[in-house]
Amino acid sequence: MPLLEVESVSKAFGSLKALDKVSFKVEPGEIFGIAGPNGSGKSTLFNVITGIPFGPDSGRIVFDGVEIQRKAGHKIAWLGLARTFQRETSFDKLTVFENVLVSGAYGKPNRSPEEERAGALEALDIVGLPRSRHGRLAEELSVFDRKCLMLATAVAMQPKMLLLDEPASGLTRPEIETSIGLIRRIADLGVTIVLIEHVLTFLMSLSQHLLVLNQGEVLTIGNPKDVIADARVIEAYLGTRKAAV
Amino acid sequence: MKADLRATPGRVSWKNEAALVVTAFAVLALTPFIVTDSYSRHILIMAFIYAVVASNWDLSLGYGGVFNFGHLALFGIGVYAYGLMTKLAGIDPWLAMALSGAVSTIAAIVVTIPILRLKGIYIILVTFGFAQLVMQLILSQSDYTGGTQGMVRIQTLYLAGHNMIRDGKFAYFYIALAILFASTVFLRLLVRSKTGASIVALRDNEEYAVSRGISLVRQRVITLAASAFFTGVAGAFYAAYQRNASVDVFGMSLATIILSMVLLGGTSTIYGAIGASFVLTIFAEVMADFGAWRPIITALLIIVVMLVYPSGLAGIWASARASWLRRREG
Repeated sequence: MPLLEVESVSKAFGSLKALDKVSFKVEPGEIFGIAGPNGSGKSTLFNVITGIPFGPDSGRIVFDGVEIQRKAGHKIAWLGLARTFQRETSFDKLTVFENVLVSGAYGKPNRSPEEERAGALEALDIVGLPRSRHGRLAEELSVFDRKCLMLATAVAMQPKMLLLDEPASGLTRPEIETSIGLIRRIADLGVTIVLIEHVLTFLMSLSQHLLVLNQGEVLTIGNPKDVIADARVIEAYLGTRKAAV
Repeated sequence: MKADLRATPGRVSWKNEAALVVTAFAVLALTPFIVTDSYSRHILIMAFIYAVVASNWDLSLGYGGVFNFGHLALFGIGVYAYGLMTKLAGIDPWLAMALSGAVSTIAAIVVTIPILRLKGIYIILVTFGFAQLVMQLILSQSDYTGGTQGMVRIQTLYLAGHNMIRDGKFAYFYIALAILFASTVFLRLLVRSKTGASIVALRDNEEYAVSRGISLVRQRVITLAASAFFTGVAGAFYAAYQRNASVDVFGMSLATIILSMVLLGGTSTIYGAIGASFVLTIFAEVMADFGAWRPIITALLIIVVMLVYPSGLAGIWASARASWLRRREG
């Protein structure tokens, strides 16, 4: 049974169709990539799946056997669906440790305070944020550390699935390499990953399946090597062959 | 490992904070033996009441980022709830004081509903409107509330075998101090808990907080309700102490004074608002001889402090602590 099933999901802003009857399935344990040019609806897709800040206009989304298209964002999180945002995001006035602790405590309720604290420390260890930085305010961290912190807050929720929205944006090449290792480590914990990324090499190195969105519609879906060889994908990314030359 | 699980890195330890609070309140508890005239004690009692109201406002405004301009209405509700319960219903004053806190809490929950989906200036509009609505309701029920005349001869508090009228405000001083102590402990426990962290998380980034399982509705109700209880109790105590109630408590004048205390003290600290309440209340008395110049000098002082320390008086403490830590590290 797929962990996530998106069926004919649409979302419009006025006359603009941001998503038009998008359908796909994600199997448990896989890393599923989503690519597409700017404005193709990638982040909107994450927004409607997580209900943050809005759900879809129509269509059906089933996560772990539960229909979630009308659920509030925090209740979707409780089911084990975590996400990150395109820009490095944090609770600026909380310390690094508090950022992770509060995320774990609310994102994975019904644990003892000791379990919550142990979970927070473990999440910080997984993303590699050293103890010397646990007491610093999140706003004082570098871009890369804030991205790692955002991942740690998601890991602390012990999610079944993690939606990553352009984790490589704004990072240097060595930082991107570290991020790839980090995402693999999280996947090895048994977390299913759905990954939006602009950098195709990043997607290619991680994804088992790749979906390409263009103008709110699914252009193609399948094995990453086949997908990037697809003429429609080349055209969507680079324009016509003539224009590309 | 066990120590790691208990500690909150980057924050003052529970033990140190508790020691500081107990010491500060112990010093305050000794002041009636040094300050023996009833007028000076009255000034301190008023400072305690303002400190309760300001520090609770800091919870919703500073920590929660909710521009709740109806906070003083919660104080006013406490004043009138106490007056009505003791005068009309004949409820025991101590019980009425606790119930007044509960009434203010319920009022806060009611006002939370319309502001759940609002932000910024729209919250100011709704909460300000709420304060005006409560005031108009009180004015319209003049048979019970005294309308514009207010309520007089409100029943005072009592202590068995002790004359509270002729003790030079000795008992009132300790009751006010006890309310401030209880309120401060409650607020600090709350803001240092995971509930407190969730309130700050929602303020810092609402969408991100929701994505981490934090319910906007639930936490906002908790924030407003928690800021209301001791505000209502302080209102009830104020009514018992002054023995009268007037709609002036809903006016902009008092709201401006208390807001100055919150901002001058520095938001999101609790202690800053308490410190600024003492500073401004005592300063206003020291400057009494300056007549009309008094508010001008006070305003200029606030501006100067805010320019030098945008984080308020708490910023002075924070920068002193940082420079001490730097010196210690060498």
